[in-house]
Amino acid sequence: MRQLSRRATLAIGATLGAGSAALTIFGWSDSASAAAKEAAAEIAKFTGGKTAEKGKITIELPEIAENGNTVPLSVSVDAPMTADNYVSEILVVAEGNPNPGVATFHFSAVSGKAEAATRIRLATTQNIIAVAKTSKGEFFTAQKLVKVTIGGCGG
Amino acid sequence: MAEKPRLKLPKQAKKGEVIEIKTLMPHIMESGQRKDKDGKPIPRKIINKFACEFNGKPVFSANLEPAIAANPYMQFYAKVDASGTFKFTWTDDDGTVTTAEEKITVG
Amino acid sequence: MTRGGILASSAAAVALMVAGAFVVASGSDANAQAKKKLAPIDIKGDASTRPWKRYDRWPKRDESKFNTLANLASPAVPTQPRKITGPITGDAANGAKLVADRTRGGSCLACHVMGPAGGANLPGNVAPDLSEIGNAGREDEWLFNYVYDGRVYNKDTVMPPWGSHGLFNDAEINDMVAFLKTLKKPAVFKTELDDPNKRPAPVENRENLDPIDNPGMWAVEKAQALWKQRMATGFSCNTCHSNPKATFKTWAAGMPKWEPRLDKVLGVEEFITRHAKATTGANWLMETDENRAMSVYLHYLANGVAIEVDTKSAGAKAAIERGKELSHRKLGQLNFACSDCHGISANRWIRGQWLGEPKGQYDHFPTWRTSLLAIWDIRERFQWCQVNIRANELPPDAKEYGDIELYLATLNAGLKLSVPGIRH
Repeated sequence: MRQLSRRATLAIGATLGAGSAALTIFGWSDSASAAAKEAAAEIAKFTGGKTAEKGKITIELPEIAENGNTVPLSVSVDAPMTADNYVSEILVVAEGNPNPGVATFHFSAVSGKAEAATRIRLATTQNIIAVAKTSKGEFFTAQKLVKVTIGGCGG
Repeated sequence: MAEKPRLKLPKQAKKGEVIEIKTLMPHIMESGQRKDKDGKPIPRKIINKFACEFNGKPVFSANLEPAIAANPYMQFYAKVDASGTFKFTWTDDDGTVTTAEEKITVG
Repeated sequence: MTRGGILASSAAAVALMVAGAFVVASGSDANAQAKKKLAPIDIKGDASTRPWKRYDRWPKRDESKFNTLANLASPAVPTQPRKITGPITGDAANGAKLVADRTRGGSCLACHVMGPAGGANLPGNVAPDLSEIGNAGREDEWLFNYVYDGRVYNKDTVMPPWGSHGLFNDAEINDMVAFLKTLKKPAVFKTELDDPNKRPAPVENRENLDPIDNPGMWAVEKAQALWKQRMATGFSCNTCHSNPKATFKTWAAGMPKWEPRLDKVLGVEEFITRHAKATTGANWLMETDENRAMSVYLHYLANGVAIEVDTKSAGAKAAIERGKELSHRKLGQLNFACSDCHGISANRWIRGQWLGEPKGQYDHFPTWRTSLLAIWDIRERFQWCQVNIRANELPPDAKEYGDIELYLATLNAGLKLSVPGIRH
């Protein structure tokens, strides 16, 4: 029921990639790099311009999503979660979506675990980026590539 | 027909235990990207916030964007130190707030 | 005459019907059938809307020029390859675009790896890797005719007749041949997942019976409410079946069934339409929300029971034979039979989707579909298979679908029902 279907997205990708046969890299177009820029801007806003250290976040996503409509996502940080040292937020952005924002999870000292799972929509194969903020003001980041399946018969 | 939120969490726990909570809110999560059959964009209408409190204190919450799939699912954790009531809140773009509650015995 | 919860057994239900209690649209038929201890069914009308109109959200193509399960119409198979004089000089760059164009019936990449075409993005492996076909010593005439209509070289080929069925014209096939002639190096995949021979088969391990994992489970609650809903007649399902858990504990696992009163195989969905009409008077046509919910529920009540359908009666035997034959009929503009994808090509990738074998394809229907946010029963699944390969679908209650469903059920014998499923 989602109008921005894989078919529509792929039709766009095929046309853009057709210009040079050697560079038929699916999906990378002006709009895609604009989304990546927007994603970077959202991250910068979240960190207040600070550079996030790579690591500490585990992102669970299927390597190939069966479709872009509902992709299971889980983010977690192995952290003590005590009153003076806990993960306060995790931001998730999708670099290749028309709007890169996905969610911001807010944790507390009584969360027990800095872990949350949900189901997301992906317009196309892309990187998902997570940025975690701790109560001490530190930032960590990780990313994962998800391939969004291309259907068989083409409809 | 209106569907109610679904919750999955234990009815009992030990003091200090970290429990897993799963919730599902039936909702189309209209992203604003879709167009109707006349080509007009269907306006965005999503659950933009989910919150969980225990005995009145915030445990976990999430700001949601249109990239969250229809029937938003949330799985998270809570450390329980005393018996009490979990309260879950879902806020729609149009201001509608849906709530659900679940008790837990801790001891 | 009392209504409601007193009647707890089907014997009582029969007694009620024999006493002429059901005065519904199908008139005295219901009572006559009940006297024979047969579940009353409406034998007069159709079980889905007539004239059958394709679902709004599906492609609008009309494929009357090609075979359907009910009708043979496809052009004759050529007996000789077309003669090609002189080397083919086409536009290889355009050919590279055409082989990756999904709007032309899936694209070649659905089945073939083809070097850099389409960015080697999740190509399929139903058919040979053509990345080095330019070095394979093939004549231009051979390449042209294989694309135009490969049946002149291999009468059993799965390859669609791209030319003789009008999907590509001669100039376009020339362009594709020109492109194929440039393919002289193995494909370079961006990630291992793109290589269909290295891609791991998908595993379905979601908790399909957990309403938090599977929205399809909401149909069970909907059906439980419908069960008790009194129709204009004053009757509900509950009137005769006040203990569905016990009464239908194994019923759905024995469906579909040959139905002599209609001279066709009846699946659960069609049975629901006809039985409800003949008893409570409910008008639950196939492919309505109510029918789907009830189908989910009736299957759900038999979850865990092994599928076991009648294969011995004369009617069932003949239907299974017909179903098997129909599953080998080439259909539509793409000229595929069920057995092409789910027989010889099973357990392979068609682009980024896995082709399953028949065993394991029936035990989870009706299923929730995550790509559509909707429940599909097996008949809608059959219909989409047709439309997707550019063949006209039949109404969901077509007798041909019944034959195929019964045949499919025999191939799934022994598997335990687990409904509603959850799938892409």
